[in-house]
Amino acid sequence: MRIGTVDWTIAEILLSLDVVPTAVAQTTEYQAWVGEPELPDSVVDLGLRAQPNRELLAALNLDRFLLSPLFQALEPTLSRIVPVTSLSIYNPGGDLWQSLTEATRKTAALAGVPDRAETVIDDHRRRIEQVRRRLPDAGMALLVVQFIDSRHVRVYGKGSLFQMVLDRLGLDNAWQGGTNLWGYATVGIEDLTAAGYLVVVDPMPMGVTGHLADNRIWQALPAVAADRVVHLPAVWSFGALPSAARFAEELGRALNRARQGGGDA
Amino acid sequence: MIGPTFRQSPAPACLMLAIACGGLAFLLLQQALSGGTGSAPPWFSLLPALRADNMDAVVIWYSLLPRMAMALLVGAGLGLAGTLMQQVLRNPIAAPTTLGVASGAQLGLLLATLYAPGLLAWGGEWPALAGGAASLALVLALSWRRRLAPVAVVLAGLVVNLYLGALSTVLILFNQEEFRGLLAWAAGSLAQNNWADVQHLLPRMLLAMLAAGLLARPLRLLELDEANARSLGASIRQLRLLGLGLAVFITASAVSLVGIVGFVGLAAPAIVRLMGARTLFHRLLWAPILGGLLLLTTDLALLQLSGQLPTMVPTGAMTGLLGAPLLLWLIPRLALSSGPATPGAGAVGRRRRASGRLLSRLVLLLAAALGLALFVSQSAQGWALDGIDHWHTIAQWRLPRVLAAVGAGALLALAGTAIQRLTGNPMASPEVLGISSGTAIGLILTIIVAGTVSLPILLLAGSVSALATLLVLVLLNRASGFQPERLLLTGIAITALFEPLRNIILANGDPRVQQMIAWMSGSTYYVDIATGVATIAVALVVLAAAPLVARWLDLLPLGDNTSRALGLGVNRARLVLLTLTAVLTACATLIVGPLSFAGLLAPHLARMMGLTRALPHLIGASLIGATLMLLADWAGRQILFPQELPAGLIAALLGGAYFMWTLRRH
Repeated sequence: MRIGTVDWTIAEILLSLDVVPTAVAQTTEYQAWVGEPELPDSVVDLGLRAQPNRELLAALNLDRFLLSPLFQALEPTLSRIVPVTSLSIYNPGGDLWQSLTEATRKTAALAGVPDRAETVIDDHRRRIEQVRRRLPDAGMALLVVQFIDSRHVRVYGKGSLFQMVLDRLGLDNAWQGGTNLWGYATVGIEDLTAAGYLVVVDPMPMGVTGHLADNRIWQALPAVAADRVVHLPAVWSFGALPSAARFAEELGRALNRARQGGGDA
Repeated sequence: MIGPTFRQSPAPACLMLAIACGGLAFLLLQQALSGGTGSAPPWFSLLPALRADNMDAVVIWYSLLPRMAMALLVGAGLGLAGTLMQQVLRNPIAAPTTLGVASGAQLGLLLATLYAPGLLAWGGEWPALAGGAASLALVLALSWRRRLAPVAVVLAGLVVNLYLGALSTVLILFNQEEFRGLLAWAAGSLAQNNWADVQHLLPRMLLAMLAAGLLARPLRLLELDEANARSLGASIRQLRLLGLGLAVFITASAVSLVGIVGFVGLAAPAIVRLMGARTLFHRLLWAPILGGLLLLTTDLALLQLSGQLPTMVPTGAMTGLLGAPLLLWLIPRLALSSGPATPGAGAVGRRRRASGRLLSRLVLLLAAALGLALFVSQSAQGWALDGIDHWHTIAQWRLPRVLAAVGAGALLALAGTAIQRLTGNPMASPEVLGISSGTAIGLILTIIVAGTVSLPILLLAGSVSALATLLVLVLLNRASGFQPERLLLTGIAITALFEPLRNIILANGDPRVQQMIAWMSGSTYYVDIATGVATIAVALVVLAAAPLVARWLDLLPLGDNTSRALGLGVNRARLVLLTLTAVLTACATLIVGPLSFAGLLAPHLARMMGLTRALPHLIGASLIGATLMLLADWAGRQILFPQELPAGLIAALLGGAYFMWTLRRH
């Protein structure tokens, strides 16, 4: 079964099912931003996600091509080369765990390995569940952010992958403000005044770490003043089950460490 | 035109703005202290006893107050820079962004982020400053031989601006995730977290004000015509250089700290002049004051709203959104004391050649380019010359794009030729008229509102917004009889609406960004064979009809009086040509996006080759435009295979380089 996709989240689902896609768009960038599960070198690079190279695609003789609604505009043109199926994963208002498991099942069926889906879903559910059991008690609310520059962050809330994981872990998100269609809001750091932990998901943009040292607002934030900032390695924030499980594990590890050692290592 | 009550001074307007600022600022501080719950202690009693553990006080002291100071400083700086540029260039629409300084600064920062991230440890201002200075140097080098004449400088600035913008877009297109932070900066965010930036900017601004004060007297000489000024012993070139250098220094220091807040530099001097500050001294005094207050008011109002929005709306982008309608309102009221006309400046036809032979050579060139684009390609196995056995692939994937590129290039060239002859302004192009931008705004809004979109909806939305833009153009210009300068101003004001909208979207990192950038940079990727054929058909129909309007286009550049004397209904001719241009631009924009270097470049090249009469000019330009777009589309598909570069971007990069080279030679 030769499958191609432009969507990194779908690529992630395929890899979690042990199906190596034949072709994915922007493979180098995938490695930098999604990272795990790793994309083998044999996967053909299709070019930009919004504009996969059709002449190359036609030469690859694929059996199926998977799209997400984000790239829906490609459907009419690509379906002249290869049967195209759309999988919708991030739906505003929908239950994200539900759509992720559903997308995993559908992908498994399309890839001809329907029996693997439940194993994979259970696996990831168990991994997250395990983290929950080992969490330090006394759940403190937390903010999950990614830095944009030294003054702005994306704060993740309702509708995001991180919110879904927090829910499953029984943790409270301290962000009560609105979010956009993809589950985050872009705010200045002065808005991060909620008590509790401040979870920073890497990568940090260049130069930001240095700037924070003499950023008076940052220093005055309750979480920073009380040394309750934890850093997590890069996790694809629009990811699928593997990213969710990885976020849960990294978060659990970081929170446990913070509880024991006091603060970020 | 202007009511007598407004004639005296901008003081009342500034006072009103200042009162509004005071009120908004007081409200904001009050809210910050009470956490929005109502009763608050008198805030000033807290300031002396600032302690790091009082979050409210910290936010006021290290975020709100420096932010307000920054808004005032940046606004004042841009107002000053704009006044200087408008004086030096004797051009009421010159602004800090016109000279490419802002795009230069942005490109400098993008390059540093990608290739020398170590530099950013010392802050982003140095790469930005270097980029801004380099782009100014380029602009000056390009116009040096023309003795830095205003038209030459503005033309060079505009071209450099487009060129650097295109380069930045390529970088953003391929490095979307890395550039999140830079995009927020590029959109003009005034957020502050300490007093460092204010401390950095304040001495520079004071210095600049002082220097501007010293320069004011000699700069007034520029209001004389050149021969007189020289006879007074002033070194015009040095004076201009000093004035521009000062303006760029101010712009770059401000922009490197808070990003692109371009509109204030254009609006403040214009409004101040409109309100009665006639002399340079008055304008140098009032434009910074008004600029500072304008920016502060916008920022404070935005801060009031920001709590309710999940979307970050950077202030720089907001000034653009608010300011553009203001400019649209102002244009009909602006007394354009247009200086001595500069007919045909920029690209003068060297000599008239036998146009028939020239045109047939251009046809041959287009045919050769067609062969190249259809049959030579790169694949996973390397370069190949594809024979007829590949016809299936060629017909299915290459032919639609080739047809669309040829058609769109020709349409843009025709529109550009018409608008350049119509306005007698070599800066004019469909993009300057704002129709491309208007179409783009409609399409972006449609994508945002509808979530997922299909081609028919996009086509409909694009046509509707192109027509709406046209309507605005006509309504605002009918009273003045479609006077060339006003028309250009209106177009630029509409374009000014598009930029901030684009920046807000980019700044918020909407995941659909890549598709939007690709389309905005002029990609033929989404074209099918029907669209391709239709584009060609439209281009051919227009070309066939060209003889009907050729006489108008021959006469109009001679001036209104001459044209009228020769029996031309000037207003009707302009209206017809304007409508035609708008429709052509809208068609092309729907296919290859709003980037229209072809529309600026092709008419120029045709003219430089010696095609000076309207009909050969139209035909030659459309052939050149078609060839340019075609080659751009082909190169874009091959250079970074399998990644595809949009044709519009390549056209801008290839065409821009050539254009700058010829500009330097003339």
